[in-house]
Amino acid sequence: MSAAVSVTGGAQAPLLQADGVSIQFGGLKALTDFSLTIRQGDLLGLIGPNGAGKSTAFNVLTGVYQPTRGDVHVGGQRVNGLKPHQINHLGLARTFQNIRLFRALTALDNVKVACRAQGALHPHVLGVGAKMKNALGNYRDWWRALLLTPGFQAEERELTRQAEHLLEVMGLSHRRDEEARNLPYGEQRRLEIARALGTKPKVLLLDEPAAGMNTREKADLMVLIRKLRDDFQLGVLVIEHDMKLVMGICEHITVLDHGETIARGAPAQVRSDRKVIEAYLGDSYLESHGGAA
Amino acid sequence: MMETPALPVPEARSVIPAGLRGIFPVLVALVLLALFQWLVSESPFAVYLLSVMGVNIILAVSLNIVNGMTGQFSIGHAGFMAVGAYISGVLSLNLKEVALSFLPVAASDQVLFTVALLVGGLAAAACGFLVGLPSLRLRGDYLAIVTLGFGEIIRVVVQNTNAFGRALGLSGIPQYSSPYMVYFWVFLVVLVARRIAGSSHGRSLWAIREDEVAAEAMGVDTTGYKVRSFVISSFFAGIAGGLFAHFVPIINPGSFTFVKSMEIVVMVVLGGLGSTTGAIVAAILLTLLPEGMRSLFNALGTEGSLAQKVDQIRMPIYGLLLVVLMLSRPQGLFGVRELWDVLPRWIPRKRRGLS
Repeated sequence: MSAAVSVTGGAQAPLLQADGVSIQFGGLKALTDFSLTIRQGDLLGLIGPNGAGKSTAFNVLTGVYQPTRGDVHVGGQRVNGLKPHQINHLGLARTFQNIRLFRALTALDNVKVACRAQGALHPHVLGVGAKMKNALGNYRDWWRALLLTPGFQAEERELTRQAEHLLEVMGLSHRRDEEARNLPYGEQRRLEIARALGTKPKVLLLDEPAAGMNTREKADLMVLIRKLRDDFQLGVLVIEHDMKLVMGICEHITVLDHGETIARGAPAQVRSDRKVIEAYLGDSYLESHGGAA
Repeated sequence: MMETPALPVPEARSVIPAGLRGIFPVLVALVLLALFQWLVSESPFAVYLLSVMGVNIILAVSLNIVNGMTGQFSIGHAGFMAVGAYISGVLSLNLKEVALSFLPVAASDQVLFTVALLVGGLAAAACGFLVGLPSLRLRGDYLAIVTLGFGEIIRVVVQNTNAFGRALGLSGIPQYSSPYMVYFWVFLVVLVARRIAGSSHGRSLWAIREDEVAAEAMGVDTTGYKVRSFVISSFFAGIAGGLFAHFVPIINPGSFTFVKSMEIVVMVVLGGLGSTTGAIVAAILLTLLPEGMRSLFNALGTEGSLAQKVDQIRMPIYGLLLVVLMLSRPQGLFGVRELWDVLPRWIPRKRRGLS
């Protein structure tokens, strides 16, 4: 734990903090000076036109890309250079814009993969001693599985119980033994959230959770996301295109355009921001309608 | 034919104490294998054919852990087999005159044989680790290229090393192997493969096969799991090589060429990538195929020459088989399922899912 961050004081230490994160692919600045703080109970929105860098921001936070500049802290620990699975172990879970379920696995097994991966390792991913301990623990786990020890069997039952509970929370109990690829679209999205929750995250990143859903499903989803935040005591960050959904549930919104943060604040404030309207609707709209609405 | 005993279903209420459930199938296998050995030991041809078949099953099932379950593509399995064969072969050659004084001669031989096998297997596993670690950190086809290279390197090294008999090969390795030993290892590799498939490790491997990016994001240490599955697979390939070295009269580099690697890949693909029982069935079929062809040509009385050339015309036939398979049933015989999933409905089965 780095002391510098854990003494932030205030009501709560931030669970996720990005400070001036920039990322550059060759000459392309995909993200410039991106900052964000998520605390427990937060429900933040990240919006912007297509190609604004929203998913890039997600990928930097989760360790898929390494930031060119700036720091990311998860749970008080600097995570630059860590692998995605290590960052996940620190309490950060995500869903994907284009659904990435384990298609041939049943719904239950999808969630069990996530539940297990978490139990196997401890969040102390740094340090040689901890690494050795992890490696040893891992080999012990293999032997336990090969010998079907009672401890292993109990653990399997516990994993199944956890996964079943998450399926129930997401209203997917009836799909338990169905292969993920056979689920309808909306349920696949929900299964992705269930799987992410399986890793017992502190922060949940949702990448366009409502994409492809109908109005009714979207409304349900809004309620569900709020409920998850409260029940699982999460901080949630949502990327979304659907303005109604974002404005409806998020308490704080960050707007990206061309990799730059052009606005941040409460929904009402962001909605009337001149730059935001410009980014979304173009200059011509502003000219013909005479400024911000 | 030897059938591996059914594995205990985790949910099953059984009379076996929980602590013993893990090794109970092994105990059953030991008894069944003794019976099996007694049945076949009369016919040298049956012993030989069954041993070859057993070795092929071990190779196919172990390769399936990497190519099927983990979704990586290794095409150098014969290389690991060669490592096991030569290391354990040389060890046995050098320990030929040694006997453990406190044991009867036969028992002492078997103990030394087991030690030689394990050393060969561990050497192959170590090679697997060295080959796997750099190439499995990356996503994509690197493993295929590296394993292909590895297989050839091993072959060339053996060909140019005096201790390994160069191109002439090693002869005079004591013939310690027996169907009992071969099928004990067959049983073991199947048990390991199935137990892995039914555990969280197996689920992680499947997850990597399905979507590596998502698996990583869900906290699965993808590199670690890939390397470990590759090491386990290499270990059993080494064991298979060791067994092979102890029942054939001579091992030479020609036994471990790229053709052998492809033969194993064909078995796994034919059986269905990811299906352990599929790999077993395919290994049995492809071992019997040349023998069947030989008898067929002999029966047809085709000049006698065709029957002798079965080994050469085998590969085109494998190729044809693969083409037909890809056209008619691209997922292989069983797909990712197991034998008991494709049995007729009235036979009770496990519930769907991996565990």
